[in-house]
Amino acid sequence: MKKTAMAAALLAGFVSMAAQAADTIKIGLIQPLTGSVAYNGEADVNGSKIAVKERNAKGGVLGKQIELVIEDGECQPAKTVSAAEKLIQKDKVPVLSGAFCSSATIAAMSVAQKYKVPLLSGVSSKSDLTERGNEWFFRSAETDGLLARAFAKILVEQLDLKKIAYIGVNDDWGRGGISEFSSQIEALGGESVQKLYFDHGTTDFYTMLTRVRASKPDGVFVAAETQDGSILVKQMKEIGLQSKIFGVGSWATADFANLAGEAAEGIHAAVPYAHTIDRPENKRFVEEYKKAYGELPGKYSAAGYNALNILMDAIERAGEADPDKIRKALAETDYHGPNGSFKFNAKRQAYGFDAVLVRLTKGQPEIVAKATVTADE
Amino acid sequence: MFDLFLQFVVNGLVNGTFYALSALGLTLIFGLMRLVNFAHGEFYMMGGILGWVATDRLSMDFFTGLVAVVAVMALFGWLLDRYLIVRVRDKGPEPGILLTIGLAIFLTNTALMLVGTAPHKVAAPVSSGPILLGPVIITEVRVFAIAVSVAAIVGARLLIQKTKLGRAMRATFQDPTAASLVGINTASIYASTFALGTALAATSGMLLGSIYVAQASIGGLISLKAFVVVILGGMGNFAGAILGGLILGVAESLWGGYVQTGTVDMVGFALVILILFFRPYGLFSVRAERA
Repeated sequence: MKKTAMAAALLAGFVSMAAQAADTIKIGLIQPLTGSVAYNGEADVNGSKIAVKERNAKGGVLGKQIELVIEDGECQPAKTVSAAEKLIQKDKVPVLSGAFCSSATIAAMSVAQKYKVPLLSGVSSKSDLTERGNEWFFRSAETDGLLARAFAKILVEQLDLKKIAYIGVNDDWGRGGISEFSSQIEALGGESVQKLYFDHGTTDFYTMLTRVRASKPDGVFVAAETQDGSILVKQMKEIGLQSKIFGVGSWATADFANLAGEAAEGIHAAVPYAHTIDRPENKRFVEEYKKAYGELPGKYSAAGYNALNILMDAIERAGEADPDKIRKALAETDYHGPNGSFKFNAKRQAYGFDAVLVRLTKGQPEIVAKATVTADE
Repeated sequence: MFDLFLQFVVNGLVNGTFYALSALGLTLIFGLMRLVNFAHGEFYMMGGILGWVATDRLSMDFFTGLVAVVAVMALFGWLLDRYLIVRVRDKGPEPGILLTIGLAIFLTNTALMLVGTAPHKVAAPVSSGPILLGPVIITEVRVFAIAVSVAAIVGARLLIQKTKLGRAMRATFQDPTAASLVGINTASIYASTFALGTALAATSGMLLGSIYVAQASIGGLISLKAFVVVILGGMGNFAGAILGGLILGVAESLWGGYVQTGTVDMVGFALVILILFFRPYGLFSVRAERA
């Protein structure tokens, strides 16, 4: 008797678990939540959550609520692989969004391929990720090369640049950005006088800036994120460097302007997203984001928001939460987000969305030029 | 050419002073207590974050804020010693190492939970406007930070050498049994030393937070640099830590200036490997064995 009761209880348990599992569709998200880029990873998670919240409020996907399962990849390949394994094996997610740093995303791509689960990255910008022929990997971010091609000419003409010094963070992204921009600018007749790199978390740039100042450039190109970048531009002013500053990174954010203070005035940044973009989709996103977190969204908040929306659209089109069907549906993406529309080319690289060149004026990113990101050939 | 060299040396000396200050608490705790404190960088981080809370959130001026932060952190260090460190005292080095590593992880994640990942600014009492010394540029806030660093270093030195508390500290660490026989309350001496080390780390965290930024996840990097400085100068050697800091600062600056900026962090570790090969007790240790 006892045994039957227990079996019945167990059975009831399983049934309710199965019922629960059927009520939601899980999406796995891997971002760095600790370590030196945690600040940016968190922005991505915040944007992703807004996308899910909006969709769930409208009744979810295929009549089910979306559940976001978030794991910390620390921007490290090994940690990212275990996060992906855990999400696929234990949480049984049918689709993954993530990995921030390109090196971590490469590692996650092989896991996605092994288990045949689609992976979408809204952040990793290293050009060759979509050149690897991994049919389970999609990217809804601009690559370094695409940004450089869109803005190098405008920058050189607008800022009247002849001699340029380059400063970048010492990783795939920083080195990639510098090599793409410098080759584009050199083709337009600009001269590269210095190319210097620093490590994530560096706080003192005086030595590097002393070298830059000695080479007397017209402009300084900087590839850096909020933390390093804000300290860097502050120290540029302190050390009396008068050159025009332009760059790539999460610069069009309120935090950057706040940390760098007056030193941020007049800086040009090429970014895929600024909260001042004039589109109805963006106004709605900015409002939702401000309501939820009390701050304005930045580049990575938008990246997370777009990635999750693209995935949820794909699940809707797939008709069920099956990895292979989602992959096929992803290829037919036609999504209109805060910064334009997204479609994937044959290499599963997104194109069609806008990138903007902004000038920071009184802490606000003022849009000076706009370009549509075309796909790599 | 020479102007450039001067600027590199001055940059190096400024950074070196900061390195010395941030390593002082570590060498003090090791020298007097034989405890390798892996949570040192997290105490530095707490100083910066609390400095931001005091100057930004509570709108205190820098000095009132500094006094408050030092008081809070000294109390925190005292309590840590009385309730945690005391349990691993006299049990060999390993339990202490494990305990402080655990503490470091706990403190970082608590800070991440409470203030988040965003970098914060400590309001400085002076402007960051440049001062020109001939061809060399330095800023007011850096001169100020050096002055505070020197004051903190001299103050700590005087405390240990000249006061009754300092004498009691040195007596306790030379021979705890004899010290307690002559009436020294050794438990409170250990706690005072740990509190002093914690307060020094927090001072440097808040001071440097006013020049750079304060961030919850900065602790690990600070600990690494502090260990380099302490090994250069000799574990537990007070003057050695200061010289070690200056040497590291200037070496990094010259390497970055004339060789390559991307590999600056390598310099410290290369120095440590060389030191461990040729002078395993540090550059400035007079004795070849531990006290």
